[in-house]
Amino acid sequence: MITRARHLALAGLLLLASLCAPAPSAAREYLQLFVTEPYLELHTGPGRGYPVFHVVPRDASVDVLFRRTDWFKVRTERGVEGWASQGDMLKTVLADGSPFRFPLGDRAGFTAHRWEMGIFAGEYGAATLVSGYAAVSFNSQLQIEGAVGNFLGKFTNGVTGDIGLAHIILPESRLSPFLTLGVGLVHTEPKATLVQPANRTEQSAYVGGGLRYYLTRRFFLRAEYKAHWIFTKRNANEEADEWKLGFAFFY
Amino acid sequence: METGLRILLLTALLAMLPGCASWRHHKGQPPSAQKVPTAQSPDEAPPRVVEPEVARREIKVPKIRSSNIELGLFYGELSIEDFGAHPVSGITVAYHITEDFFFQAEAGRAEAGRTSFEVLGGNVQLLTESERRFTYYDLSLGYNFLPGEAFLGRGVAMTSAFYLIGGFGGTDFAGDTKFTVNFGAGYRVVPVDWLAVHIMAQDHVFQTSLLGTTKITNNLEARIGVTVFF
Repeated sequence: MITRARHLALAGLLLLASLCAPAPSAAREYLQLFVTEPYLELHTGPGRGYPVFHVVPRDASVDVLFRRTDWFKVRTERGVEGWASQGDMLKTVLADGSPFRFPLGDRAGFTAHRWEMGIFAGEYGAATLVSGYAAVSFNSQLQIEGAVGNFLGKFTNGVTGDIGLAHIILPESRLSPFLTLGVGLVHTEPKATLVQPANRTEQSAYVGGGLRYYLTRRFFLRAEYKAHWIFTKRNANEEADEWKLGFAFFY
Repeated sequence: METGLRILLLTALLAMLPGCASWRHHKGQPPSAQKVPTAQSPDEAPPRVVEPEVARREIKVPKIRSSNIELGLFYGELSIEDFGAHPVSGITVAYHITEDFFFQAEAGRAEAGRTSFEVLGGNVQLLTESERRFTYYDLSLGYNFLPGEAFLGRGVAMTSAFYLIGGFGGTDFAGDTKFTVNFGAGYRVVPVDWLAVHIMAQDHVFQTSLLGTTKITNNLEARIGVTVFF
């Protein structure tokens, strides 16, 4: 078992390495930017504490290789590679003289962004809930979101999957309420020991609402309530309340 | 109840309407909103002395690749309380949000051994083979606590970070899945921009009543991992 796991891990790693080997740089076209400030500082790593080891003088250009968080890996005309901060890159220009602009992780980004993701802990019915979600925005007020949850209770465990629309009521505000509406699936595994009831998967619908609170950089808090209606094959439908609180970020 | 539900659904639907409306607005401006430029009479047009023949250079802006996702595998030792220490392996996915914080999702699996009660009791079997499989997953937030550089001799410098991690998830063990809290610390070295090596130790804490009394169990894990940045 252990040998098999080890072989599997090694095979997976080799596959990953082959997938991720950097593409030949000649085939790739990089964005060229020009320095307009007296100089552009290059750090040894993507973080504020890494020392500056090189400066690019005014009017010289750099190629942007890639971006990691708020840092850009750049290459100078002489082939020196280093990391430039987001703040410094804002002061560079494109070849036509127009300023270089890109999405920043700030309050404006909180109002209007494309992607967001988050993790939650909470309650589903009477069970503890672990949940994650991802959303794509159509505009600053409307987004489609998918959530997956795992509820762990005394008598039942299960998994939920939801997809629905969210309407953000005050996207410009730091504390912004939202409403959600959607459908989902619930897979329930009862834990009864005497009579073994079968596991079941049922459709559900939900309506809910919550609050988003912008913290800093790309982070916000999200508290949410959802009222679920589970459409069972029995005589009466079931209802379940979901409460959760979590961290999320946007990109 | 039915009426209440209907009202609730209708309220949510109504509240979403402005969002849908602004989406349409976003997709295309209505023609009435567009300004029609007023034509200038030929008398007012300034006389052109030189006709510029230089075409403006079109700049094609290539997309900047983002490299924030870290995907990898790990292998190590997991000490399952009362069931001994056993090899563990698994997969991790991390997303670096800022230079300080990252989200991480991970899943791992180990096979539990026998408790001392089972060893001493001869043929006593507390769990079946499949129940001895210890599978966990968690969602965590990590903080790059001490970023720095690691040096190999005079010529090689690699960025590194000591990080703290904490989160929650579930552990499937002994025929039940339990809510689990995990916390720990790790050290990451990045030899090249797309590759990272991790050494990490963390604790998985959950409540169980498997051995008669309800208690909190600590399941310590030490491991090494290799991840690739995308």
